[in-house]
Amino acid sequence: MPFHFDRRVESNDLSWKEKGRFTMKKANSGNRVSANSAEGVVLIVLLVLWFLLGPAAADDSNPRVKCRVETDRSVLAVGSPRTIVVKVTLDAEKPPKTARRPPVNLAIALDRSGSMTGEKLAKAKEAAIEALGRLGSSDVFSLVAYDHTVTTVVPAQRVGDAYGIRAKIRDIHGGGNTALFGGVSQSASEVRKHLDGEFVNRIILLSDGLANVGPSSPEELGRLGAALIKEGISVTTVGVGLDYNEDLMTRLSRNSDGNSYFVESSRDLARIFNAELGDVLSVVAQKVHIIVEFPEDVRPVSIIGRDGRIRDRKVELSMNQLYGGQEKYALIEIEVPSGKVADRRDIAAAVVTYTDAVSQRRSKTGGSATIRFSKDRSDVEKSVNVDVQKAYELTLSAIAQEDAVALADKGRDKEAGEALRRSAERLKEVGRRYRDEKLLIRAKETAEQATQVSSQGMTGKARKSLKTDSHQTRQQQYSR
Amino acid sequence: MKKRSIILYWLILIVPSLVIAAGGIVLLRGEGERLAQVERSSARDRARAIAETVQVTVEAVEHDLSAALMRIPSQSPIDALLDWKDANPLIRNVFVWKPKTGLLYPRNEDSATPEERRFIARYQSLFSDSGRWFTDSAGGGEIPESGLARRQRRDMPGEPEMQPQSMVMDIRSLRSGRRQLQQLAQSKFKTDSEDHGAGTVSEPSSEGWIPWFSDNKLHIIGWVRKPKDDVVYGVELELVTLLSQLVVDFPKSAAKGMVYALVDDGGRIIHQAGEPQVKPGEKSEVAVSLAPHLPHWQIAVYMDDRNPLVGAGQGFVILSGLLLGIFLIAVVTGGTLLTRQAYRNWLDAQQKSSFVSNVSHELKTPLTSIRMYAELLDEDRIKDPEKKKRYLQVIVSESERLGRLVNNVLDFSRLEQGRMKYHLEEMDVSGFVRGIIELHRVRIQAAGMTLTEEIPEERIPARADRDALKQVLINIIDNAIKYASDGGELTVTVEVRDGQCEINLMDRGPGVPEGHRKRIFEKFHRVDDSLTTPRPGVGLGLPIARRILRDHGGDLIHRPRSGGGSCFIITVPLRRSGASLIQ
Repeated sequence: MPFHFDRRVESNDLSWKEKGRFTMKKANSGNRVSANSAEGVVLIVLLVLWFLLGPAAADDSNPRVKCRVETDRSVLAVGSPRTIVVKVTLDAEKPPKTARRPPVNLAIALDRSGSMTGEKLAKAKEAAIEALGRLGSSDVFSLVAYDHTVTTVVPAQRVGDAYGIRAKIRDIHGGGNTALFGGVSQSASEVRKHLDGEFVNRIILLSDGLANVGPSSPEELGRLGAALIKEGISVTTVGVGLDYNEDLMTRLSRNSDGNSYFVESSRDLARIFNAELGDVLSVVAQKVHIIVEFPEDVRPVSIIGRDGRIRDRKVELSMNQLYGGQEKYALIEIEVPSGKVADRRDIAAAVVTYTDAVSQRRSKTGGSATIRFSKDRSDVEKSVNVDVQKAYELTLSAIAQEDAVALADKGRDKEAGEALRRSAERLKEVGRRYRDEKLLIRAKETAEQATQVSSQGMTGKARKSLKTDSHQTRQQQYSR
Repeated sequence: MKKRSIILYWLILIVPSLVIAAGGIVLLRGEGERLAQVERSSARDRARAIAETVQVTVEAVEHDLSAALMRIPSQSPIDALLDWKDANPLIRNVFVWKPKTGLLYPRNEDSATPEERRFIARYQSLFSDSGRWFTDSAGGGEIPESGLARRQRRDMPGEPEMQPQSMVMDIRSLRSGRRQLQQLAQSKFKTDSEDHGAGTVSEPSSEGWIPWFSDNKLHIIGWVRKPKDDVVYGVELELVTLLSQLVVDFPKSAAKGMVYALVDDGGRIIHQAGEPQVKPGEKSEVAVSLAPHLPHWQIAVYMDDRNPLVGAGQGFVILSGLLLGIFLIAVVTGGTLLTRQAYRNWLDAQQKSSFVSNVSHELKTPLTSIRMYAELLDEDRIKDPEKKKRYLQVIVSESERLGRLVNNVLDFSRLEQGRMKYHLEEMDVSGFVRGIIELHRVRIQAAGMTLTEEIPEERIPARADRDALKQVLINIIDNAIKYASDGGELTVTVEVRDGQCEINLMDRGPGVPEGHRKRIFEKFHRVDDSLTTPRPGVGLGLPIARRILRDHGGDLIHRPRSGGGSCFIITVPLRRSGASLIQ
């Protein structure tokens, strides 16, 4: 049965803006050959319009996001059905330094509970003030402080009177419990005040303790994150010290496509806020929607390391944003039936729609992958895509980290250490096979974690490191 | 003044005051309780208003989601539902169910997401029993909802019943939150259905909402039944989104010590407004149920135990208590001052009365002797010249005594009125004291006392009024003769110490009892002031002597003498500092 793209998805993704632009481009080409003066005026006007809208119009021909679809092997052995891995990679080009960036709508939810008082709160306030300093006058800033109650210290506003905002931040004092749910909810409310604009919406949540007022389970906060991403709001979580709930924080950031950080000392907060602001200020695409379609006889088995939906022969995934110069990918495991020798066939086709962060226009890109069958084993071996293998192994190691945490939570520390050790060995083997430095470093780190968990058990610090590492790998937080 | 009188006066003063105070406290307590009751009642009304607004909000959201479900396109309804779910934060899950057939979506397949699998497990018993949904499955008409969620929806958007203005202001934020939630509920699906084109269902449908408890947690699903194909389309409400908005728009608590809280079915505080922090297990003063939309949920009001008088009554009670306290203090202080003044007046009167009696007695005694001896001499019945001479000496002696008494009284009067005039002159204290002692030696010895003098030969210069100083010395010598003659000794020493001349008159008498040592210098005070006392006196000698010496810049003090007796110390400034003498 021939393999077709679902054209309905494409037509739905064309907004009225795109349609309008298409019409204008046609008119432009039609007037280029005119000679009389009236047509000349029209031409000038159209040229001005083209100049203004040019960069956006160029998106279709030169999209800011490039999509690659690859498989871990491009040649499969003839015989029984095979399971292979498809990698859909999105490369967001790094915008030039002089390029206009989309304005940012940033809310900081600051924990001011009793445990934060002292140096932690002071450093957190300094970090917030530094973050404020990196924003421009067109950006929107708000700050919510929470203990057992929630206070909007800085309501959402353009960063004009930075001096007044700084004074308000410095005036925050600590005490009480941790109404984390209320803090995030209030921050989301502040972000919503400018949700209709062309902003990159982001909440940075900072906490050092266990949420103990209101909904406080990882599941509930995860659901809150999943709801917020539907409004285009991502939550980045920063856990300070060894007492916060890493499950809750990573679940919240993962479900809302935000970043997650673990800082043992509050002195690192300024650095973390800077890194986060670096991401937020370099967003090039938002509301990224990926649809991967497979031929009738290919069965998508699972999505590795990311949340998504599999329906029939179609896999759907979403990301809230792509940062300039960053590569994000999704890995899908599929089951392919055996084919005939030299039989080349399409195996996967991806359509990616996204909103250009600067022009705010919906854009589209895509890619596809093909495979062929061979009897020659060396052909199969040679066709291995190291990049896909590497991504696959890293993601599996992240999953192994979470499995180890789950085992340790059940009191099975030795098994947790063993799971990490197996993961380290696998990474080492693959790293050696493909002479990949990154995998070998990761293998070494994982082996160290395995030794530590086996000898000392799962300490609070180790648990937080594993959870945060896992989240960062799965979300490709540092893949630049 | 008798003790009984004082007690009586105090009782007259204190008892009514205490009765008034007690009455005031009772009234204040009653008033405080009444105000607290008003506060509680007001809190209950406010909680009801909040609860009603929350319910209306939930109802509005449900209504809008139901309305959107009604417009579900007939072509690819599952795709449309999934698109809607992906875009709408108020939707946690979507489902398509056919009674007697089972769930058409989601299905327990490999492709189902973990969340979809949990959804299926959560509602398994509900989807397996259509009897829980409908009581009448005859299609086309109105189908009653399940007993689990029989809800009478009011016309939307409805407002809660009219509340006092303050409460309307209070819950305004919740209403704005409701508008935002309604926008979310109305968004996206309508557009999608339009995009999907024709085929939206407008035929009569039935609909409903079911609160469902799984793992002791509330979940809510809404459904629409299409009679044409007997398929139920539904959504699971994302409670977290609803709560997130309710928490943000929850009214702020105006009163200190009053906490409004949204409490879930497990008794967990979802959100609190106001201070202080509610402790786990703390009992609420007021609780208003959020059923039927959020069964077992409630709006609770907590009042601070440490501050029972919260709210508007607090200021009144504190102010009233303060006024009552001031009134009591004023009454007690006034009463104390009046009693003290009355006691002083009484003491003065007593002293004056005693003084008059004593003076009369003192005047009468020498006068009697003088008169008796004078009559005897006048009648010429005494022939013995020796006797005559002795009688005449007695008359002279008693006259002198009478003169001293009158002088003392006159001096006291002058001193009291500030009319005493001193004639200061250069004098030698050693010689002066020696002279006075010499004059009274006979009298002292006649009283049976041995006189010992330790008076230096050299001159001790001072500037003083001779007569006044003489009176001081005589008063003290008189006292010694009068009270200490039994001791048989009077020692007089004069010395210079610390730039002053110090004259000590020491006896071996009974001494001054401890309780009287300071008071012997008070006017009219006598250790024994009864008329029957064997020692005559009016209680003026020592006060006059001290006053005279202090006017000279010196002093008179009493010290008990080691080995028994008294020591009166007279200090007189030497001439170098005599310039400070009062003229």
